[in-house]
Amino acid sequence: MNIAVLIKQVPVSNKVSVDSDTHALIRASAEGMINPSDLNAIEAALSLRDQQGGKVVVFTMGPPQAEASLREAMAIGCDEACLITDRAFGRADTLATARVLAKAVEYYGNFNLIACGALSSDGATGQVGAMVAEALDIPHASEIRSILHMLADNHQIEVLKDLEQQTYTLLVDLPALVTFQFGCNEPRLATLRSTRAAKNKPMLTVTNAELKIPSELIGAEGSPSRVIDSWEPQDGRKAEMINGNEIELAQKLRALLAKGDEA
Amino acid sequence: MKKKIGIIGGGISGTCLAYNLSLYDNADVTVFEKDTVGGASTAKSAGTVCLFDDSLKNRYWDVRLYGFETYLKMEANEKGSAGFDNTGTLVVATNKQVEETIKTGIALAKAAGYSGEYITDKERIKEILPDISTDNILGAGYTNDDGYFDGTMISNYFAKEFVANGGTLKTGVKVEEVIVENGKVKGIKTSEPENYAFDVVVDASGPWSRFTGKMAGLDVPLWHTKAEAFFLSPPGKKLSYTFPVLKYPEFYALRSGDNIFICKSHLSMDLSNPMHAGQWDPDKLPATGGTDEYFIDFLLDQLEMKVPGIVDSGLVSSWLSYRAEPKDFWPILGETPVAGYILATGYGGNGVIEAPAASRDLAKLIMIGESTPLLENWAYSRLLA
Repeated sequence: MNIAVLIKQVPVSNKVSVDSDTHALIRASAEGMINPSDLNAIEAALSLRDQQGGKVVVFTMGPPQAEASLREAMAIGCDEACLITDRAFGRADTLATARVLAKAVEYYGNFNLIACGALSSDGATGQVGAMVAEALDIPHASEIRSILHMLADNHQIEVLKDLEQQTYTLLVDLPALVTFQFGCNEPRLATLRSTRAAKNKPMLTVTNAELKIPSELIGAEGSPSRVIDSWEPQDGRKAEMINGNEIELAQKLRALLAKGDEA
Repeated sequence: MKKKIGIIGGGISGTCLAYNLSLYDNADVTVFEKDTVGGASTAKSAGTVCLFDDSLKNRYWDVRLYGFETYLKMEANEKGSAGFDNTGTLVVATNKQVEETIKTGIALAKAAGYSGEYITDKERIKEILPDISTDNILGAGYTNDDGYFDGTMISNYFAKEFVANGGTLKTGVKVEEVIVENGKVKGIKTSEPENYAFDVVVDASGPWSRFTGKMAGLDVPLWHTKAEAFFLSPPGKKLSYTFPVLKYPEFYALRSGDNIFICKSHLSMDLSNPMHAGQWDPDKLPATGGTDEYFIDFLLDQLEMKVPGIVDSGLVSSWLSYRAEPKDFWPILGETPVAGYILATGYGGNGVIEAPAASRDLAKLIMIGESTPLLENWAYSRLLA
């Protein structure tokens, strides 16, 4: 059972502002971490590997610093990593990103399953997983809770998916792509020992020299979507501290409630 | 006429000094904190105030005891206000010299009415800390009277008290200029439109003091040493015993909820090693992460040897902080060549321990003009070679 996990390095800080000209997100620091739901995908992949054997290869597309997230994923337990990095891949939208990820997975080798987090904590479009599956022409199940069973001589999986207060059991033919809900399992932690071992695990770096994707399909040029506007949310809610003894508090509260009724 | 004092920095140093100053009728104190009270290097302090360990030489026992008892009284006054976790402390002796220091510390603690014992029975040591290895150790000092405190909570308590005493706290206000005329401090300019006139300006900005000093035309000879820390989730996720503050010459550890906080010790830092020390910009410190790779190897080796029961803990998070200290590792307190410009900085990771005694003495110096032996030992002038 060979499993590819696609991860994204996201900003640690939630203090993200918006560039008023390009509408792009400005990240307060270069500090990155593994997107939270990707950790759930890694956990699901590792437990499947622990049961079935095989290997887990973690992929990410990003600047060279994204290696830190790949090393972290290997410290958690992934066996190998692939860093997809090329200036030509920059400023890509979800579609152009998915094309590159799909091509890199194909380039790396054969996988029975591709796992991703359902949403990134910064962009949160939830599109990339499904787009990768389309690009590879394989079935996908999105926002699943868990993989229940391997069936049909490991040619099928049964997965659980929550949707609108119902839980569905889906049968998916392999190879397939699945995306995991945030919080669907408890990700294991790296240890000092596994962090040290991760320094020497294999990591392949690929650029477009290897993937050979036509330039009109990648980067800004290959991105059909344009962000035409974006803004920081206005938080209109305000909190006020009410002080006083019990009677004063009751009176103030009553006055406030009365005001609320009028409104 | 009241003496107007402006303090730059709202960490343990600034808030503790402001509190001590606010006890004088004729002090008018304002603290400027560019972010939140006790939120920067104070928040990253482990807050250990142990009765005997290597963080402060036995020579300064009174400073240690005064700090410890200040926080105990704070807790007695308002439970939880100092964040006291009464885990006790185990200080491990790996050589004769450390053993002697521990034994002296125990005698001093007992003289002040606290418990303490030097244990050589290895089974007893393992009862206190089951995950420890007792190979290659001589013994360990133990007391169950102490533990660690919370520097942020303490700073906020001091802030609340000095404001209640009539002081002013300005958070979210950055000091941008120290006004000095004819070698005398006059006031400050901040990120707010109006300027402030002061008789005395105190630099309590810790790791930022080099930058703060420059504003007053002063060279503050501080270096940063790295405090690299990990939070570990022990195997099995929950310990079945109370993890004491654990001190080795190389590192220290303490519990933090169900996790264990572990940090390279202060005195193992080498100011001439660029991996350990330098002069950096604390504004560029990441909120989490930032530890050096060697730290993983260092901790793995140390734990395998010394506390093998927790070596396979999960790594929950890590951070890097800067301690600020001069070459001799002691604080810099008191007067400077700029009249009215006072330093309360360079505590170098010992702020929680040292601030109460140091601030008590500094407040007296500022208000009455009377110095103390402690201030003389830790004076700026000692660094002017």
